[in-house]
Order: sequence, then structure tokens, then C-alpha cells
Amino acid sequence: MITSIAWKNVWRNRTRSLTVIAAVTVGVFASVFALAAINSSVVQRIDSAVNEELSHIQVNTKDFRSSNDILSLIPEPEKVAGILRNTPGVTDVTGRIIVRGMASTPAGSAGMEITGIDTAREKEMFTLYRKLIPGTGSYFGADTRLNSAYIGEKLARELYIIRFILTPESFSGLEAKGVPAAVIEKLKPLESVRFTTEKKLTEAYGGLLTPKEIKKYGLSIREAAWSYREGSRIILSFLDVNGNQTGAAFRISGIFRTNNDLFEATSVFVPMEELRRLTGLEDGVYHRFIARLEENDITDRVTPVLKEALPGLEVMNWKEIQVDLAMIADYINQIYAIFMVLILAALAFGIVNTMLMAVLERTRELGMLSAVGMNRRRVFLMIMLESVFLSVVGGFAGMVVSGIVIGITGRTGINLVKYSEGMEALGYSAHLYPTIGTDFFIILTVLIVLTGILSAVYPARKALQLNPVEALRGE
Amino acid sequence: MNVVEINEVYKTYHDTEVEVKAVNGVTLSFRKGDFAVIVGPSGSGKTTLLNLIGGLDQPTAGEILVAGHRLSELKPSELIDFRMEHVGFVFQSYNLIPVLTAAENVGFIMSLQKWPKEKRMARTGELLEAVGLADRHNSRPSQLSGGQQQRVAVARALAPRPEFILADEPTANLDSKSAETLLDIMEKLNREEEMTFIFSTHDVRVMKRARRVITLEDGKVVSDERTNHTA
Repeated sequence: MITSIAWKNVWRNRTRSLTVIAAVTVGVFASVFALAAINSSVVQRIDSAVNEELSHIQVNTKDFRSSNDILSLIPEPEKVAGILRNTPGVTDVTGRIIVRGMASTPAGSAGMEITGIDTAREKEMFTLYRKLIPGTGSYFGADTRLNSAYIGEKLARELYIIRFILTPESFSGLEAKGVPAAVIEKLKPLESVRFTTEKKLTEAYGGLLTPKEIKKYGLSIREAAWSYREGSRIILSFLDVNGNQTGAAFRISGIFRTNNDLFEATSVFVPMEELRRLTGLEDGVYHRFIARLEENDITDRVTPVLKEALPGLEVMNWKEIQVDLAMIADYINQIYAIFMVLILAALAFGIVNTMLMAVLERTRELGMLSAVGMNRRRVFLMIMLESVFLSVVGGFAGMVVSGIVIGITGRTGINLVKYSEGMEALGYSAHLYPTIGTDFFIILTVLIVLTGILSAVYPARKALQLNPVEALRGE
Repeated sequence: MNVVEINEVYKTYHDTEVEVKAVNGVTLSFRKGDFAVIVGPSGSGKTTLLNLIGGLDQPTAGEILVAGHRLSELKPSELIDFRMEHVGFVFQSYNLIPVLTAAENVGFIMSLQKWPKEKRMARTGELLEAVGLADRHNSRPSQLSGGQQQRVAVARALAPRPEFILADEPTANLDSKSAETLLDIMEKLNREEEMTFIFSTHDVRVMKRARRVITLEDGKVVSDERTNHTA
């Protein structure tokens, strides 16, 4: 009976209850969704770091990371590789040789790290090959020559390998994307003009279009003008084992686009055999071993095991290499906690306010209930249940809406390309795929119910303090 | 047999600097089956006396015995249980629970007393029929007239078979016809169920029906007359 009355009481002032429920729903949804977006950003960043850039664990000599000495090779590489492979949790191991050098074209040059890789093995272990920009090559296919290089888009721009040209095909593409004919007409003076940088193109069309058109179609224009001539070459130069300057022309086997500008600007991957030939490094020697684990969660457990097994070498996991990312990954739980506190505090204030109004409005009725024999425990329970119902209905609705929206945006993604420059400079994707764990939903449900109960304490105490005689006399 | 015994009861309120003796040395008793009214001008102490008898308030001095319970000895929580078990209340402004139907309002106290559902429903049906609302089981208070709401309140008060019913100005908000119907029903229940009714009222219609009229003035009983009126 008490439960039934409490439920009916919630709907006594339908407008007020619905307003509170709507507020709770929106609050829970906004917070959960924001958290899911933040979470996805971190998860995607970790995923990129592990699967495209760093792997789970890297092993090299203790001074290699600081000296980049070409002769700082891993001693007894076969034995080290064996230890790595036989360590529980390790699924794959590959070796790399790494040299510091310069990449140049007739138009520009840049310093970077040139990594010689076992191309077939790395394709099995990492997903960087999936980041190939269509039309720029084929990663390292079977027919790829040895003197080929897989480079990042940022580097390609710095070396002016990528140009920006509005061709007749570009205009057709823009038309297909829904860019109005009037805008395309305005761009016609730029047809076939070659821009070496995106900035120059932007400046050029900036003088032809209105600010509104630039804002609306700028990204499409830049994408349409993006141009790369397949088979372009770059010169890679570096020191060989004897300290002599060496180098060669490498044909671009593909350009990759990740979310990490720094990685794109400083990484060049070439077939290991070719780098060995040019540097004079013998077969079977390596600067670094890269190990992949069964799952990311065991990284902290496997790392100390390897450190103990390989005492003379530097064993570092991705968290130790990218401390900032590890810190964010570790702080995500604290961020969860802060968000939860914010969600629940907003919920609590709303519920306390509503329940207090409900109690003060029903003074006479509560006096009557006490007069006819409803004891304090039952009055307390009734108010408590009303509060819990309000919280649970609002909280549940908020979570259902969050679940649906996260489900949809988790598949379609949220495009934050407008802010991509800043985000990608930090290594974060401009396309977010919100995601959140089921455990978060369960914890939040429990906390919402608890908040509902706690929020009812003050109004319920107010109700208990009512003197039935005075309450019955009250209006 | 006395249902209520009131011995030298005082109730004093301290309103800032003024001491108000709302009930001033009242001694009374009510027998089972009484149909009594307490009358008197406003401020004479009628409602205060009713609150004391019903265990809603505690006297400053004196003692009240109801069905063998010395009310001054009961703790607040015991007083609540006492009221639920022994007293039926009918209020001037009906005070039904607006979110419940007529039948649910009648069954409310019985459900607090954990009556079995079937027994509770049978008693509810019986009482709603007795108060002439057999066809309004599922009506909410807002769908009933003032007179009908007060009849539901009477049925609610009677439902758990209390020792007596305390009715504070039960006809004050009713028109003549509704008041007469209500009084007919109360008289009938008094006669058929031998239920004790104690009213406080200004209403001459109620006084005319009463078999005992107690007059209060300044918190004191100035007359206590039994009439020849028979229900």
C-alpha cells in the first residue's frame, strides 16, 4: 500500500514530476554522453598508440633511446627474442632497425626517424597499413620495390609531396558533395593552379568566397584539392655503421594518415633489408624488439616480468614511453568519479527541492496520516520511495537515451573535423566513437538509487517533525 | 461500560507571554454507544479536548483512560499505534488521500493494520454500501461531492472497528441535505454497530440528533445533558 501511494504521489503533480524527471534525464544523458565521448577519445588514442605507433612493449639497449647510436644494438638478439616469445602473455615479437636521418625533396627537407621493418610481419602485428590514404600507394605489397618508403601525411606536406590543385574532377566532386554551382563558379579562377601548401590554397579561395561559404565549404574544397602524384620520390640520408653519410632515393609506397601529427611528421618506414644494405648493419641484428601482448590490460603485469628477465636492456611499455597518455588513461577513473559526483549532485539537488515542496504542500495530509495511525517509519518510507521513484525514472530514462545515442554515435562517429588541427596535434582523433562500459551503467544505476534515498532524508525528516495537531490545522 | 474516562484534565498553551488554558479541569466519561456532542463557542476548547481524547495531544495535567490505556504513559510511537487501533477520526475537511479511490481510502487503515486482502475488501464493500456509496468504489476524492467525501471519511474511520469515532465539525463544510444524510448514516451506524460517536460542533442539526450534549466554556464543562432523543 505504501509503495502504491508513493508511486501515485509522484504523479500527483504531473507537470512538476515530469519537469524533474526531464531535468534528471537530460542531466544524466549529457553527463554520460560527455563521459562516453571523453572515454572514446582516450580509448581511441590508446588504441592508436598501441596498434599503430608503439606496440605494448619495446626492448632496446639502455642508451639507445637517448643516443640513437647506430651501433647500440641488442646483444644476443636471438636469445632476447626467445625470452620475449616465451613470456606468458606475449603473442608476437618483431625486430626493427632504427636510424636518425633526413628526408628531402627538391622542395623541402625534414629530420626524422627511419625505421627498417619486416614489412610482412608488421602487417600482421600492427594496423598502420590500414591508415593508408587511398590512391597514394599500396603499403608494402608483394610487388613493392625494396627502396620504398611508407611516410606520414604531415611529412608529405612538409616535403611538398602533397599539393593542392582544383582540377575539373575536383569540381565534379564538389558538385556531388552538394556545393552550390554559384560557389563552384567563384572557384573557377583557381582551376589547375598548383598550391604547395593548404594555407596558400585557403588564402586563395578566401579572397573569392564569403566567410559563410568558407565556413560551410572550406573543408570540402581542401579535400577536393588534395593532390598526390603516385610514385613520388624522397631522398633519405643518414649515417652508416662507419659514421659515413649515406642515403638513397626512395619511392613512396604509401602515405598514412593517423591522428597523431608528430608521429606522421617524424616517422618513415622502409623495408629492413634495404636499410641494412645502406647502413651496413648485418643480418640478425636489431636496435629494438617490439612485443605485442594478448590484451592491453596485462601490460602492467608482463612488463616487470620482462624487466627481470632482461636486466641488461631497457624494457618499456607504452605507458612508460608516452607518460602523458598513461596519465590520462590512469586518470580516466578519476574523471569518471568527478562526472558521477556532478551527475549525482545535480540529481540530489533536484530531488531534495522537489520532495521538500511535496512535503510542505502536503502538511495537512501528512498530519492526517499520522493521526489515523501511519507511524514514522511508514511516513519516512513513503517519502523515501517517492524520491527513489523520481530518481530512478529520471535516471533510467537518462541512461536509456544515453545508451541509444551512444549506440548510434558509436557506429556513425562524431565529426569534430573543425577542431581537428588542435586535437590531432595532441594525437587525438577528430572522429569520436563514443563508448562506455556496461559496468559504468550498473554503478551509475546503483548510485542513482542511493542518491534518491539520501536526497529523501532531509524532506522525510521534515515530514517526521510535523506535529499532527498543528499539521491538521495548517492550510 | 465506559470507553473513555477523563479525570481533571488540563491543557495549557503558552502563547508568548500569555498562558491560555484551553482545557481547564475537565472530568467526563463516555459510554459505549454514546452519540455525544461537545458544543461551545469558538476557543472554548472543543477541538483541544477532542485531540486529547484521540491521543493527538497530551494533557498538561490529569489523566485520560481509553480502553484501559492511560494515554499519558504512552510514548509518541505507541500513541500512533493506539490511534490506529482504537480511534476513528473524521475531520472537518474530510482529509481523504487524493491519489486513492474511495475504496482504497476506506481500506487504508485496515491495510496499515495488515488485514488480509479479502477481509479488507469485504469490509470496504460493506461500509461503502452502508454510507450509500456502493457505486463509487473507484471514484477519486476529486470526483466526489463534499458530502460524499465525508461519508467516505466516516467509512474509513469505522473500517478497523475502533472503540469510538471522534468527529471534529464533520458537517461544517456540508450543505443541509448532505449534512442530514451524513447524520442519518452516523445514527444508523451508532445504532447498528453500537459505535460510539463524539462530535465537536457548532451545528444545531448535529445537536438536535445527539443523545448527550456537553457544553464547554473557557475550557470548562458548564453543562452535560442527556436528551430524550433516540436514534
